[in-house]
Amino acid sequence: MSLLPGIGAMLIFPGGLSLLTASLLYEWADHKLLALLQNRIGPRWFQPFADSVKLLAKEEIVPKGVDRWLFFGLPLVALAGALTAGLYVPLAGLAPIASFPGDLIVVLYLLSLLTLGLGLAGANSLDRFSLIGATRTLTQVFSYEAPFMMALLGPALAAGSWQIATISAYASGHWLALTQPLGFVVALIGLMGKLEMPPFDAPEAHTEIVAGAMTEYSGRGLALFNLGKAVELFIGLTLISALYLGGVENPLLFLAKTLGLLLALTGVQALLTRLRIDQTVGLWWRYGALLVLVQWLITILVR
Amino acid sequence: MTENRTPRRFTIPIGPQHPALKEPGAFQFTVDGEVVTNAYVRLGYAHRGIEKAAEERNWIQNLYLIERVCGICSHIHALAYCLAVEQLANVQAPPRAQAIRVLVAELERIHSHFLWMGVAAHEAGFETLFMYTWRDRETVMDLLEGLTGNRVNYSANLLGGVKFDVDAAQADSIRTGLEFLEGRVRHYLDVVSHDATFLQRTRGIGVMTTAQADVMGAVGPTARASNVVRDLRVHAPYAAYPDFPVSIVTDPRGDLEARFSVRLRELFESFRVIREILDRLPAGELAARMPRRIPEGEAVIRLEAPRGDVFYFVKSAGGDQPERLKIRTPTICNLTSVVRLAVGHQLADVPMILAGIDPCFSCNDRMVQVRKQSDGSQELMTWEQLRQHGIEFYRGKAQ
Amino acid sequence: MKKYATMLPDIAGSLFKRPATEAYPFVRSQAPMRLRGLLKWTPGPCTGCGLCAMDCPADALRVTMLDRKAKKFFLTYNVDRCLFCGQCVVSCRLGALAMSSQEWELAALTREAFTIRFGKELDDQSGLAGGPQGEPHTDRS
Repeated sequence: MSLLPGIGAMLIFPGGLSLLTASLLYEWADHKLLALLQNRIGPRWFQPFADSVKLLAKEEIVPKGVDRWLFFGLPLVALAGALTAGLYVPLAGLAPIASFPGDLIVVLYLLSLLTLGLGLAGANSLDRFSLIGATRTLTQVFSYEAPFMMALLGPALAAGSWQIATISAYASGHWLALTQPLGFVVALIGLMGKLEMPPFDAPEAHTEIVAGAMTEYSGRGLALFNLGKAVELFIGLTLISALYLGGVENPLLFLAKTLGLLLALTGVQALLTRLRIDQTVGLWWRYGALLVLVQWLITILVR
Repeated sequence: MTENRTPRRFTIPIGPQHPALKEPGAFQFTVDGEVVTNAYVRLGYAHRGIEKAAEERNWIQNLYLIERVCGICSHIHALAYCLAVEQLANVQAPPRAQAIRVLVAELERIHSHFLWMGVAAHEAGFETLFMYTWRDRETVMDLLEGLTGNRVNYSANLLGGVKFDVDAAQADSIRTGLEFLEGRVRHYLDVVSHDATFLQRTRGIGVMTTAQADVMGAVGPTARASNVVRDLRVHAPYAAYPDFPVSIVTDPRGDLEARFSVRLRELFESFRVIREILDRLPAGELAARMPRRIPEGEAVIRLEAPRGDVFYFVKSAGGDQPERLKIRTPTICNLTSVVRLAVGHQLADVPMILAGIDPCFSCNDRMVQVRKQSDGSQELMTWEQLRQHGIEFYRGKAQ
Repeated sequence: MKKYATMLPDIAGSLFKRPATEAYPFVRSQAPMRLRGLLKWTPGPCTGCGLCAMDCPADALRVTMLDRKAKKFFLTYNVDRCLFCGQCVVSCRLGALAMSSQEWELAALTREAFTIRFGKELDDQSGLAGGPQGEPHTDRS
């Protein structure tokens, strides 16, 4: 039966444990690159691992008045959504573990599960900072989600399929980043919005609202949310490399392309100031949506 | 968590423990959605009783106590104290000492403005500017360490003069350091005046008109950014400022961008003054003799700290300990502006407005009396009572 | 005129430069000559006048007189109270005190390491052996 190798692929390699490990290494790469750009040393390679282990070992404080099921369940749902999304993307340059027509849409929704989980978790707490953080998270979702999705569907239009494996194979021939530059830019910036990376980190602006939706979380819940974000970073980079940067046929190309993208993301992180939440919404609904619609128009006309 | 939970209107506490504040102060902002509708501030968390402690130490020991009122303007506080005591004793510090005092004061101003720029950029979310300004701040701290012996709390002053001299090698290293810093300040001025995303967070935010600045009593660069022409180095020159004058830097716009611009352009004045002092350092001694018992009298000294007006009142009864020492620092004048200006702005702008006045809570703290809301009564506890209260409180919690 | 990515030259340059962080303790830069480190006492000039103890803002120095006529005394220096302000160096008119610029890493694991005795050998011994109690010089009555 092909169940055992399937389960092995899901839990050990390339999904599950390997996915978690790779995600934490990419999180380290992000922090280290940012540090180098800021002329400082930055953390050592095992820092995200150490953080996760430490948080998992700590006492989890449950604030008064929260719904306990939601409080403990939402981080699990968030991480589960992120890990499940990994089943359908070409991790490490290998073929996706599972693939079916339309899995691009499924992956996009699974990735949103984390953000929605975060928003709900913030709304669950009675703390004022969490409430404002939750409001900002959900506002931000409403702003970047549509352009981001449309930007990722641009290559789908060009390839004529909603299946990631097919689009990836189609993109191996040519770099869609060059033929659909606007979509590429929107996808990249959209990924930053989804990951709540600066300059779109208003939902967790710690100089304003301490930690936003995650303020009341500690111990295991916080560790799971952080792991979920790291996994999302990894999957997001994989997705954009596969769709826009000419596919990821082998592990070496995969590494090169995703790290190159990470460098670009980190560069943008370092260069811009945090945007206020109303400025984020304004930016996305004015320029983001416009750019991606123009890109769609061009793609459709050219075909 | 005592406030009402009427829909979409609640109170956000910023402080006394909050990542936006580097020192404790309790702000409460009532927000409606994201817009601030009311603001309230309460101080007293870093009150240390320095004015009272000064009455139990002799004049020389007080110099070091006063230095520790604030970490970033420590030299200015020590200088104010020295000038006051010298005025009481009718002793003039020699011109070389006064010039060196001004040299260290201007280096401290450079340090303070670099530090502030980093912190303000951090509040805005511009981490890169924060990291780079603090990296460059290391240069000025190394200069101060080489000159005075310590990076902070320079301990440069003596009653009657200064402790150390500036020799040729020191002067050269200072000049080299200043060249580097001046280039960086030019670059940062370009960044804060032109960077599109940074301007989105500073242009037109926290606007304070000249009239408002007058009414609220704002001082220092915060006021000068609202076109208030007031700089005590020019209007009430002290130490060596009559010989090495400074020009006032103002800005008519009154918003956060203007505050950035004023502080950075002030640094060019500091660079110029330091170079002048190094070129024309008067010859002479480093300190004059001061008596151990200071004659009876009162002295009032006003200085321009990096944050604004510092006011010192020193009263002597003729002994070797002061009778009364009163310190008023600039942040307490500027806090009203934060509370008034925050109303109507978005919550995200509030840390920036707070950072714009360059707050230093440890300088400005006072004893605060808290009255019960129900009947207006106050409860005063002695040290022993407070200790007992704490023991019982935690004993009760454990059960 | 608004520019974008104004800090690009900085971050692009940093990729090719060494980080500005000093890798202490693997790398130790030279401390400046005037650094106010640990207080050092020279026995020769000292007469036990106690001006240093009187002027110390942190009460870190105490002079214990064992025999005033024979000029036997020792000083106790509490490093954990010291502010490293340097006032004692200035107050001493005989030049017996100086602050080291080499010894500034003063962390210790025990409290005892922070009490340093300055004394001519015999005075130190008699003080340590619980000799005559002597009068400590303090500034506060």
